[in-house]
Amino acid sequence: MSSPPVTGPAPVPRHRGGPGPARFRPRRTPPAGTVRPKPRRVLSYWRQYLAISPFFLIFIGFSFFPVFYSLYLAFQRWDGMGTMQFVGLDQFRFLWSDPVFWMSIRNTLVIWVLSTVPTLFGALVLATLLHSVRRFKGFYRIALYVPNVTSIVAVSIFFGAVFSNNFGLVNAILGMVGISPVPWLSNPWLIKLVIALLMTWMWTGYNMIIYLAGLQAIPTQIYEAAKLDGAGPIRTFFQITMPIMRPIILFTVVISTINGLQSFSEPQVLFGSNAANPNLGGPGQAGLTTLLYFYQSAFVNNDYGYGAAIVWAFFVLIMVMVVINWRVVQRGRKS
Amino acid sequence: MTAVVPRRSRRPKGLTAHIVLVLAVLISIFPFVWTIVMATNTTEDIYKSPPKLTFGSHLLENIRHVLDTIDFFGSMLNTVVVASVTTVLVLFVDSLAAFAFAKFDFPGRRVLFATLLGFMMLPLQLAVLPQFILMSDLGWVGTLKALIPPALANAFGIFWLRQYIENGVPDELLDAARIDGAGFFRQYWNIVLPMIRPALSFLAIYAFVGAWNDYIWPLVVLTDPSHLTLQVALAQLHVGHTTDYSMVMAGVLMASVPLVVVFTIFARGFIAGATEGAVQGS
Amino acid sequence: MDLSRRGFLQAAALTAAASGLTVACGNGSGSAGSKNGKNLTMWYWGGALSDKVVAEARTHFADQVKLTVASIGGDFKQKLTTTLAAGTSVPDITGIKGEDIASFLPNAGRFLDLNDLGFKQVSSQYLEWKTKLAQTEDGKQIGFPIDIGPTALFYRADLFDKAGLPTDPDKVAARTGTWDEYFDLGTELGKKLPGTYLVNNISAVFTIAVGQGTERFIDKNNRFIGDQDHIRAAWTTAIRPYTLGIDAKINDNTWNAAIGKSLTTELGAAWHALDIEQAAPKTKGKWRVCATPGGPANQGGSYLALPKQCRNPEEAFKIISWILSPANDARGFADAAIFPAAPAAYAMPAMTQPDPFFGGQKVIEVFGPAAKAIPVSYEAPADAAVMAPFFTELTSIEAKGKKPDDAWNDAVSQARQIARRQGVK
Repeated sequence: MSSPPVTGPAPVPRHRGGPGPARFRPRRTPPAGTVRPKPRRVLSYWRQYLAISPFFLIFIGFSFFPVFYSLYLAFQRWDGMGTMQFVGLDQFRFLWSDPVFWMSIRNTLVIWVLSTVPTLFGALVLATLLHSVRRFKGFYRIALYVPNVTSIVAVSIFFGAVFSNNFGLVNAILGMVGISPVPWLSNPWLIKLVIALLMTWMWTGYNMIIYLAGLQAIPTQIYEAAKLDGAGPIRTFFQITMPIMRPIILFTVVISTINGLQSFSEPQVLFGSNAANPNLGGPGQAGLTTLLYFYQSAFVNNDYGYGAAIVWAFFVLIMVMVVINWRVVQRGRKS
Repeated sequence: MTAVVPRRSRRPKGLTAHIVLVLAVLISIFPFVWTIVMATNTTEDIYKSPPKLTFGSHLLENIRHVLDTIDFFGSMLNTVVVASVTTVLVLFVDSLAAFAFAKFDFPGRRVLFATLLGFMMLPLQLAVLPQFILMSDLGWVGTLKALIPPALANAFGIFWLRQYIENGVPDELLDAARIDGAGFFRQYWNIVLPMIRPALSFLAIYAFVGAWNDYIWPLVVLTDPSHLTLQVALAQLHVGHTTDYSMVMAGVLMASVPLVVVFTIFARGFIAGATEGAVQGS
Repeated sequence: MDLSRRGFLQAAALTAAASGLTVACGNGSGSAGSKNGKNLTMWYWGGALSDKVVAEARTHFADQVKLTVASIGGDFKQKLTTTLAAGTSVPDITGIKGEDIASFLPNAGRFLDLNDLGFKQVSSQYLEWKTKLAQTEDGKQIGFPIDIGPTALFYRADLFDKAGLPTDPDKVAARTGTWDEYFDLGTELGKKLPGTYLVNNISAVFTIAVGQGTERFIDKNNRFIGDQDHIRAAWTTAIRPYTLGIDAKINDNTWNAAIGKSLTTELGAAWHALDIEQAAPKTKGKWRVCATPGGPANQGGSYLALPKQCRNPEEAFKIISWILSPANDARGFADAAIFPAAPAAYAMPAMTQPDPFFGGQKVIEVFGPAAKAIPVSYEAPADAAVMAPFFTELTSIEAKGKKPDDAWNDAVSQARQIARRQGVK
């Protein structure tokens, strides 16, 4: 609150000089008809290349290379220690007819929907409310963001205790009002619901902050004009706020998709394997997400080739989903 | 702070908003309270049905158990070191690259940026084994420095900062600086960095929290028991068929409190950073 | 695929033979000739060894080597595999869990053959079936047995008494000699004590029923046999408590809460006693132990191994054989309920003492004979992976009432697929 909630081109006091000649190239206007020959053009940007090089060197070493190495693994059978054996597309063929893989995708998607929708909706509502109040703003923002600062391991342990079928707080409270215990951690749907609740709890505040950022950037004059036109708060919200917020919503949808589809630690800690049952993902593997299945294949069953195939197949799926997401939002924007 | 809601919203509406917000705050705070309840009671109290709902008097005892079981302060120091170094490097490396991506149309920019975005969608677990092999070739296995490069290779920071710089740093300003004779790096240092401070503070918290809470990779790569991070040490409390829940919760509490405190102290700047934010346009 | 797998095994065998040859041609002192590092590291996980014995080992060998021990949390196998694959920062001594040992056998070349270091001379002190599980087909010994997990039936004498049933271990054993008798008893218990259950979950029954046989899911010829009668019989046994309504269907952390309350019996290995004791300290004195219905099985029980990078194999071997000597093994039982793989320990005072948690019963009288009677079975490297779908389906029956026959068909088809993927015929 100490700093003005202004975004975008802000007036900058320290520097004099108005807009100079537009020699500077804004991103969205590519140079019309480049005159200079290409090689020199590349060289003339050496500073920019230098600027991105630290990141890209690390990126190539610790992300790019390992990831492509894993693509190579998807065509091998490898137990992690012995010699690799090239198996062609076998792993993918197995994948195609592996009901557990498809189940894990279903689980992941269900958990993703069950968590993303309430998270983003709740975040938007909270951000709007927060934006409207005058007092305790700072307190609310911090208190609502705090869940995101905790570790997934800690939170999962906590949720496991609270939703525990027998000694959990939730069932104890339900018991007080006379409702018989609900099998939170064994019913296939409730398992997913608990995981989704956990994720919703962790991420609502985070998204709320991002929405709040967008709301605060909307110039007050627009609202004042709307008010003069006699628009009510609801109409203002849908006709002014939403359209302006669209890119921000898109951003959060993309980030939530990435996070939501990669859910892994939550079910892993929530349903840690035990001596009697080495499977991951809880009863009936109802909480087995695709990444958890990858983990089980690679690290529990020592089937690294298959694990790599799972992730790559899943990656393709995520990409498709992101593109669809993007398309839908973009179309919405046009209409 | 300017309120931008229609003026009609007087008392009643403001009150509803506060009620909803307070409820939300209760929900988001409740787990912390409940963790304290569990950490101050005995495991038996937790298993009771209905469970004990009040604070107990066993906190010190539980903390002592934690301290007996793991090297808590040693691993906390390690975590602080790793998280701080990671954060500083992330801020520098990402902001430099983000500036280039946001404001310059160098050849290959689109392809490189798309690659980054694509990699954001790949799960990091995939890279665990090759990364480990790499680390062992470098001879870094078991050392804290093995934790840093993979954390730097996270594209979110660039994605975030690029958005912010694109919209938050006016082209005119950079042009003016250029006319004054400032080169790329001076523009970065003198104009961009000061202007994106709010975004940096958001990223700083994000990176710090991420490094603090990272689990899988440290678990794998930290082979030396005297060089563990907090999360890995915590996991050692949570082993076996039966769990001493009250002790684990005490550990969870001890590991979370510093982070929450640090966060609350820096939250003002951080939340300003996020709220001023960056994410418009595209 | 099959061919190459065999080829791979042959290669592994050749490597093993070659390394054996090198040792044989070495300068008398075996492969340790050039390896005499003064610093040794040992990895294990909490509860794998008696911390007291390990601490004593450090001082006992302090003159020869400096032993650093690390108790590894989290997924031990993942960590060990990754480290072995990378080949650096490998511990000099490592624990391997019983359920993982089979999956390390195809990579026996990553470990030293303990027989070369003198295990042959002491192997007769350890249970043969346990030793064999850590042996390759060509006789290379990669694991030194730490403990075993002979199963038994734990039961609540107080609840049995309340239901008007005998409480004396011998009498209870007489009434639970077979699975059917055990389930009949359970039905009776359920009627007399409403709200209590006989078994925790049916996966526990399945695990033990499979372990009571001499064959598992893959046979020695690397063929999938998980669809055959012996597994089907174990499956049918496991389903019965479910259909009889005496299954508590607990598949999550609530076991901790249920164990002191609604469970009248508990099937488990010797080390499970410690779990019960920790989860339900208030039931001290109320539990008793008797033989497993249908005969003993093994559950868990770990090994110590020396990775081939070991910096001082001779000293390392001395250390592990000291830690795992029958006398120290017996102490491990007293300290941490680690049931020794060395029968000589069973007669030692540390083990024959009455256990107050079990109302002063001398539990060794149940576990000792069980340990010796455990059937020997072949456990293929992919066994655990192939068994997994059966557990999934059993929990599906419990969690959402899936029809047992459908569950069986799904389990078998998935198991077969996993087997095929892992190179099993």
